Amino acid sequence: MAKKDGNQEIKLTASLEDYLETILQLTRAKPVARIKDIARARDVKAGSVSAAMKRLESLGLIRYERNEYIELTVEGARRAQKVLSRHLVLTSFFEDILDMPADEAGAEACAMEHHLSDAAMDKFVRFFEFLRTCPGAPSNFLELFHGCRRLDGEAECGFHCKDPACLDGIWQRNTTNINALEHGQEGTIMHVGTAPAIRQRLLDMGILPGVKVKMERRAPGGDPVWIRIEGYQLSLRREEAEGVAVEL
Amino acid sequence: MSVLKKKPRNSEVIRIAIAGQPNAGKTSLFNALTGSSRNVGNYPGVTVERRSGKYHFEDKQYDVVDLPGTYSLSSFSPEERVAQKELLDNTADVVVVVVDSTALTRSLVLLAQVIHLGANTVLALNMSDEAHAAGQFLDLDLMEELLGCPVVETEAHKRVGAQKLKSVIARAVEQPGEPRPPVLGERLSGALISIESMLAGTSVKREQRSWVACKLLLWDREFTPMVEAQGEGGIEAVAQAAVLRKQIEEQTGEDISVFVAERYHGFAHGLVTETLRQRPRDDARVLSDAVDRVLVHRVLGLPFFLAVMYAIFWVTFTVGEYPMGWIENGFALLADLVSQNWPDSTAPALRSLVLDGVIAGVGGVVVFLPNIVLLFFGLALLEDTGYMARAAFLMDRLMHRFGLHGKSFLPMLTGFGCTVPGIMATRTLENERDRLVTMLVLPLMSCGARLPIWMLLVPAFFAPSMRAPMLGAIYLFGVILALSLALLLRKTVLSGEEAPFVMELPPYRVPTLRAMTIKMMERSWLYLRKAGTVILGVSILMWFVTSYPKADARDIDQQITAGQATSQEDNDSIDAVRNLKESFAGRLGVAIEPVFKPLGFDWKLVTGMIGSFAAKEVFVAQMGIVHSLGESGGRSESLREDLSRNYSPLAGVSLILFLLIATPCMATVAVTRRESGKWKWAALQFFGLTALAYLISLVVYQGGLLLGFG
Repeated sequence: MAKKDGNQEIKLTASLEDYLETILQLTRAKPVARIKDIARARDVKAGSVSAAMKRLESLGLIRYERNEYIELTVEGARRAQKVLSRHLVLTSFFEDILDMPADEAGAEACAMEHHLSDAAMDKFVRFFEFLRTCPGAPSNFLELFHGCRRLDGEAECGFHCKDPACLDGIWQRNTTNINALEHGQEGTIMHVGTAPAIRQRLLDMGILPGVKVKMERRAPGGDPVWIRIEGYQLSLRREEAEGVAVEL
Repeated sequence: MSVLKKKPRNSEVIRIAIAGQPNAGKTSLFNALTGSSRNVGNYPGVTVERRSGKYHFEDKQYDVVDLPGTYSLSSFSPEERVAQKELLDNTADVVVVVVDSTALTRSLVLLAQVIHLGANTVLALNMSDEAHAAGQFLDLDLMEELLGCPVVETEAHKRVGAQKLKSVIARAVEQPGEPRPPVLGERLSGALISIESMLAGTSVKREQRSWVACKLLLWDREFTPMVEAQGEGGIEAVAQAAVLRKQIEEQTGEDISVFVAERYHGFAHGLVTETLRQRPRDDARVLSDAVDRVLVHRVLGLPFFLAVMYAIFWVTFTVGEYPMGWIENGFALLADLVSQNWPDSTAPALRSLVLDGVIAGVGGVVVFLPNIVLLFFGLALLEDTGYMARAAFLMDRLMHRFGLHGKSFLPMLTGFGCTVPGIMATRTLENERDRLVTMLVLPLMSCGARLPIWMLLVPAFFAPSMRAPMLGAIYLFGVILALSLALLLRKTVLSGEEAPFVMELPPYRVPTLRAMTIKMMERSWLYLRKAGTVILGVSILMWFVTSYPKADARDIDQQITAGQATSQEDNDSIDAVRNLKESFAGRLGVAIEPVFKPLGFDWKLVTGMIGSFAAKEVFVAQMGIVHSLGESGGRSESLREDLSRNYSPLAGVSLILFLLIATPCMATVAVTRRESGKWKWAALQFFGLTALAYLISLVVYQGGLLLGFG
């Protein structure tokens, strides 16, 4: 069972995850998704979409608007984003590294994306990023990869790496989110990814990629957090802070 | 909609709009410009506050609108939509953008957007004294040149720079500057130009096209359908925007909103970098940060917070009791004066109207004033020092669990004193939904006017050892119900995307007495003028339904001759009870008695409740009347004995619950209507709480009967 910060995440069936993913993709192209759009995209009957939507709504992952429009909740968007990014990473892996045809790569990714645990996926992404960003690696790159992992963050990986971005880019790149910063710890914002309304407000208040952020303190109970950004100070709720990725 | 409409303009009066981010000192600047002439109300249909005023300068009249404070002009919150609409409707001749000089880059983003929107802009660099003190100096001439609009430094809270600003505004009216469109980078500008060209065939105004193009690129939920409805050109523009958005997102690997925000910030950052002659020192906030280390300390933070809250509560209600007493005595004196000089026999109906309707009604309105004045002085102090944001920071976790906001705490606490100022205090909440939820559940906080009722009922039905725990349980039950109901409202009527909490924590500032006084007076005046008139109207109506029609005098005479009443005092009280029973309220009470029978109430209790709509404590007086003891008997032991004889303790519990939950008083209903902007919310509060009270009392009473209590 996937765990995150101690909170047990409800396990979704593969088909429900696929639906979330479809809704996310549809709402990127249009402001809202509708039952019939989803049915068309997934090539299924509207009736089975409705049933799946009811289930997703009962799990608090989506909302029906006017009984026809469908919107992801914050949690739904997070879950969908997770599935989608897995899908993209896996597709790209099969396609770019293993050199498979695009449609086969997509089908493999679809089958795999629901079953990997978070931990396995994380390792997978790290490995994949390593392969992509270390073009200077020699043919024994697997050895190099294992060597680096043992040292975990140390600059010397036992081999002389020609591309400094390889080291800077992966092993020293220690990404986390604002909420996970320790008291007094500083980081640079990498990515702002929450629900659109909240994201816009974060952006308006200067929470942008590349900006330095420092954790000042937390309210009793750990939520909200108090951060310092380029000379002014802001307070964010935990779920808002979790949506902002930072690099240490 | 807004963008596409052209409004007729009155050229005699010059219109100014003030835009700015929260905490930039926008309202101070507004006050500095307009002096004492202002009008505070709501934008129609939303709880967003609209503040307008005027001033005269060089023989011309300037009407000023203070737009709601927003960090940007996106269309997510009602405040942002309102501000954007006012700017796009093009009713303002000059838009003054107020920025916080100590957080320049972030503040200038709004300026970039206002310029982009095509407004005739003047920039006011507010809090320039603080920026100078921190060692920050700007090349203002260069800034004017780069922006193409006038720049003025102001210290609004001290009214420094107001005259200069007025003359700059006057100049800007005569010779509108040519604000240069913000430099947004090749990729974004290119995209905007290509979308813009397709808008040529639509009714979008020329100077607003680039802005609308940007909104289309961002797939704005308001603009997209609006432009699409504009025929071929609009549809093409929307389609083009979709293509370009996809392209940009693929090329940059960023969400379009991030990309656009970065371009605006980039422009603001570049502007600051170029015009900065001397950087501010890093230690400018050292003192404020040191204070924070104590006031929001892990351990010390909460006790300090509770002490501050208690102090405000104490001042509002304990200190407020004195002036309230004076006001009550004053109105009693006035009533005495009228009744002595107005003999019973001349126009008795009018006499009763004046005495029991008008004087009592006006008194009922004015009596809240000390509470409101003192509370808003306290609130202004919290807001102007910057502690309010800290308080919200400390309380948010607890309140957020129930779908409320950290800033909901103080209004709810105030509700223990009186619901009316509590509801008015919800103005400190920036988000409309937070404000509505807080407002709607506030009557469940057992207010001070209900205390006399508990003082009457609890000893009547419970043994001495049970009285204190019962009283505590009543208050606790109210709080639990309020929080649960808040959660329920969030899940049902007021559901929807959670509003962002992200909040600025400005440095502590020394507030000025003037600013606090203005805030306080604004609120008090708003209460008297807007809510007061409704309360007065309902008072007179309540007077009418409880005194008309009069009981037939012969009936009473018959009772007297039949020896049912012996002394003069008894005569009076029988007179009163008959009058009440014969009145509309009494008749209504009798008529709906069957509805309340399952709750264990008879017509006397029901009539008392109808009367308590005027003010909760009236219930006690009404009980005195219906139990033939006269109004003065309200607090006496005999009334308690009478009650405990006539009703079982179970009926007592049912009654207490009903009075706690049901039917907020008319002042609450009036203020909710005023503050929410719609009768709908006041009605929901009134009927929702009454239905809930009925349900809970029914379950308790019937359940109790089944279990063999009572």
